[in-house]
Amino acid sequence: MTLQECYAAMGGNYEEVLGRLRSDRLIQKFVLKFVDDGSYQLLLDSMASQNYEDAFRAAHTIKGVCQNLGLTRLLNSSSQLSEALRHGYTPEADGLVEQVGTDYQETIGAIRAFQASLGA
Amino acid sequence: MNNNKTPLRFLMVSLIALSLLCVCIFSFLAFYMSRRSEDTISNVGKIYMSGMSQQISMHFETTMDLRLSQVEALVETNFPGTKSRDDLVEDLVYSARARGFEHLAFYSTDGTFETLYGSELTVIDPEPFLASLNASGKKIAVGTDAYGTRLVLMGVSSTYPMSGGKTCTALVAALPVDYISDTLSLDNEDGMMYSHIIRQDGTFVIRSGEAFRDSYFDRIYAIYDELGGSDAGRHVQELQAAMDAGEDYSTVLVIGKEHRHLLCTKLPYSEWYLVVVVPYGSLNEEIAHLSHQWGCMAIVGCAIVLAALLLIFFRYIQITKQQMAELEQARQTAVAANKAKSEFLSNMSHDIRTPMNAIVGMTAIATANIENTQQVQHCLKKIALSSKHLLNLINDVLDMSKIESGKMTLNIDQVSLREMMDGIVNIVQPQVRAKQQQFDIFIHDILSENVCCDSVRLNQVVLNLLSNAVKFTPVEGSIHIALYQEPSPQGDDFVRTHLLVKDSGIGMSPEFQAKIFDSFSREDSRRVQRTEGTGLGMAITKFIVDAMGGTIQLRSEQGRGSEFHVTLDLEVSTIQETDMVLPDWNMLVVDDDRELCESTVASLKSIGLHAEWTLDGENAVRMAEERFQRHDGYHIILLDWKLPGMDGIETARELRRRLGENIPILLISAYDWGDIEAEAKSVGINGFISKPLFKSTLFYGLRPYVDAEETVLEPLPEEHEADFTGRRILLAEDNELNWEIADELLSSLGLELDWAENGKICVEKFSAAAPGWYDAVFMDLRMPIMTGYEATQAIRALDRPDASLPIIAMTADAFSEDIQRCLEAGMNAHIAKPIDLREVSRLLEKYLNS
Repeated sequence: MTLQECYAAMGGNYEEVLGRLRSDRLIQKFVLKFVDDGSYQLLLDSMASQNYEDAFRAAHTIKGVCQNLGLTRLLNSSSQLSEALRHGYTPEADGLVEQVGTDYQETIGAIRAFQASLGA
Repeated sequence: MNNNKTPLRFLMVSLIALSLLCVCIFSFLAFYMSRRSEDTISNVGKIYMSGMSQQISMHFETTMDLRLSQVEALVETNFPGTKSRDDLVEDLVYSARARGFEHLAFYSTDGTFETLYGSELTVIDPEPFLASLNASGKKIAVGTDAYGTRLVLMGVSSTYPMSGGKTCTALVAALPVDYISDTLSLDNEDGMMYSHIIRQDGTFVIRSGEAFRDSYFDRIYAIYDELGGSDAGRHVQELQAAMDAGEDYSTVLVIGKEHRHLLCTKLPYSEWYLVVVVPYGSLNEEIAHLSHQWGCMAIVGCAIVLAALLLIFFRYIQITKQQMAELEQARQTAVAANKAKSEFLSNMSHDIRTPMNAIVGMTAIATANIENTQQVQHCLKKIALSSKHLLNLINDVLDMSKIESGKMTLNIDQVSLREMMDGIVNIVQPQVRAKQQQFDIFIHDILSENVCCDSVRLNQVVLNLLSNAVKFTPVEGSIHIALYQEPSPQGDDFVRTHLLVKDSGIGMSPEFQAKIFDSFSREDSRRVQRTEGTGLGMAITKFIVDAMGGTIQLRSEQGRGSEFHVTLDLEVSTIQETDMVLPDWNMLVVDDDRELCESTVASLKSIGLHAEWTLDGENAVRMAEERFQRHDGYHIILLDWKLPGMDGIETARELRRRLGENIPILLISAYDWGDIEAEAKSVGINGFISKPLFKSTLFYGLRPYVDAEETVLEPLPEEHEADFTGRRILLAEDNELNWEIADELLSSLGLELDWAENGKICVEKFSAAAPGWYDAVFMDLRMPIMTGYEATQAIRALDRPDASLPIIAMTADAFSEDIQRCLEAGMNAHIAKPIDLREVSRLLEKYLNS
């Protein structure tokens, strides 16, 4: 599985990222690190504990990371979520957290598949 | 009603009084004038009579004079003593016969006659005659001859020797009485007038007409008796008194129905009086006729004046009644308006109280739960909603008061009807969707898209009608709006524009339809009790349409729906669509709505542009690159803000990366440009055209780039890899991955980076470093423990020479208010994520080298 294929699976924009980071090596390095990023967990935890301020920050961080990595699909949902949480809890947030979860799992799934193909 | 009767009674009384007055005046006039005419006729008679009698008396005098002078001439030609007595007598007789005297005699001093020729003479009443002649003079008297014939004797004093040897005292010649009456025409058979000559005692000297008595006085008595008169004695006395005094006497004898005028005057050379009598007979008739005519005319005049008065009176009553009716109507209108206003006030206070209660209550709840952010948030949301509602109410009331005080004026400018319609539709669409109503827009026969009109007010009208339609139409109902034009009867400069808003809503009762356009009204039925609003909307709408010189019509049936039809004659704008031509450019339109793409391409074609379109960002990038490589690139790219997959921002960034800076990329969006400007500009979007895209919108949106094409778009300087070797940057970023990416990217510029995991660490690291160690701080905004804003303020507050070093915000947000807040917190600039090296280099060059 190539990096491009991985990006296609994640619903990301490979060309755009390449334009900024300029090498597959860097992209690969950061994409793989995304798996370990704790922001998503923070989002889930703070949502569970109803700490919406942290939840907002977590969503916002995910948004920022996605911008940097060109993960467009996840960027869209996390961006919407951060707007929903910007001024505290709104009912839309719950649905968006789920959407972010789905997109996140897809992204992580794609990255893991890519990682697996590297290892093979 | 009492007020009503008073003026009417007054009018009736004054009419009657006036009529009476009128009748009185006319009666008096008729009476007075008839009297006056009698007097006048009597005066005329008197003047005429005195003239007549004077003439007669003068005639008498002349005649007598003539005859007396003839006798004198006899005496002078045959003077006593000049001839013998016989010769004298012979000559006298001869001359006297020649002059027509019938008798001639010498008159002795003792009153005896010596007849020269003719018969023996006797004088009636000889004393005054003899006395006058003895005193030497001339005199006339009446006498008789031997046969009893009445004669007029003319005596002239002279001293002829008489046959007895005595000397006579006078020569007397005589003529028959008839001679005088004939000469004087005293007994005029044809005329109405007759005259007598009488003595002072009333005895006749000369009689005329049917008079046969010896005394004129007796005759008067007799005539009075005959005709039933009663005051004969008075007249006789007056006549005698006048004769004694030697005056003329003139009177009107009223004998029964007959009027006679009598005049008595003294005759010269005698003791006689001339009495002239004119019966009024025909004069009287004339006067009676005149009086009668006068009376008739007076009655007719009176009737005409009365009729005119009556006419005026009834017309006046009519007008008064009408005015009273109008007044009553005006009063009722005023009362109704007043009632409507107080009803409105009570409604309004209720309507205002409801959101106000919500605001007050929610504020209290929020205050009580200040710690519970979620609850406060919820409260604020409700407060915001209620405030908005309240604001709407107040705006309506203000509008209405502006209208009522006549302060609302129209602000005429050029309006594109299509643009306006689209704007309104955009506003209404969410409400329509929320109620799942079917919404049709039908725009056809547009003769002139651009018109001169107050766009804000026209918007208000359409919006009002539409939002009413939405409001009063139940879920899944249908709403139909149509806009079409036809030539205006006002001429070529105008176009008649029809706007039709139809719904299948609850409709209106006929009673309500009648007053829907009045101020302060609202259908008062249970169905609309729960609907919000001031009830001023339609009044405002009506007023605006009126002010624009248009009409608004309403057709509605309860339960079936309503239809509003606005007709306006709008002035056609001078800038016409035909003038809209742009250079022959190639363009690309990117939008996820196929119809919008197609219609936009068509519009672009109509203003002289060639355009292609695509539905998503990926395709757009591919198409643009292909053409770019063929050196036949697009001149301008129109990009939707919202796209599936790659959104507008991302597509723009990609396009910029591949095509360079030269091609204008314009964003097309229904959003407010101000909200997205910063973000759009940051990815190289040049400008913005607001949706909906009509010919005019496109023309005015693209026109600025016609000139810019050749001049402004010079190629940017070659991208150069700036070298910031040795520069140290402190980067505050809570996410490790983001930090690593930033570190990786920025290190390529030769920068040395230190990482601070949050704002607090950032401030600590900065404080711990030697002054001047760091050249700049890159600051994430959303960090735990201490945010970027707080950290910046803390650094700026430090007492260090380098506390004012450049601090550049890095954030995933790119809203203009965020940028504003960064600057307020003391940061120098703002970079949107993801990190773009060119942007970073540009900023670092700016801040590190300055």
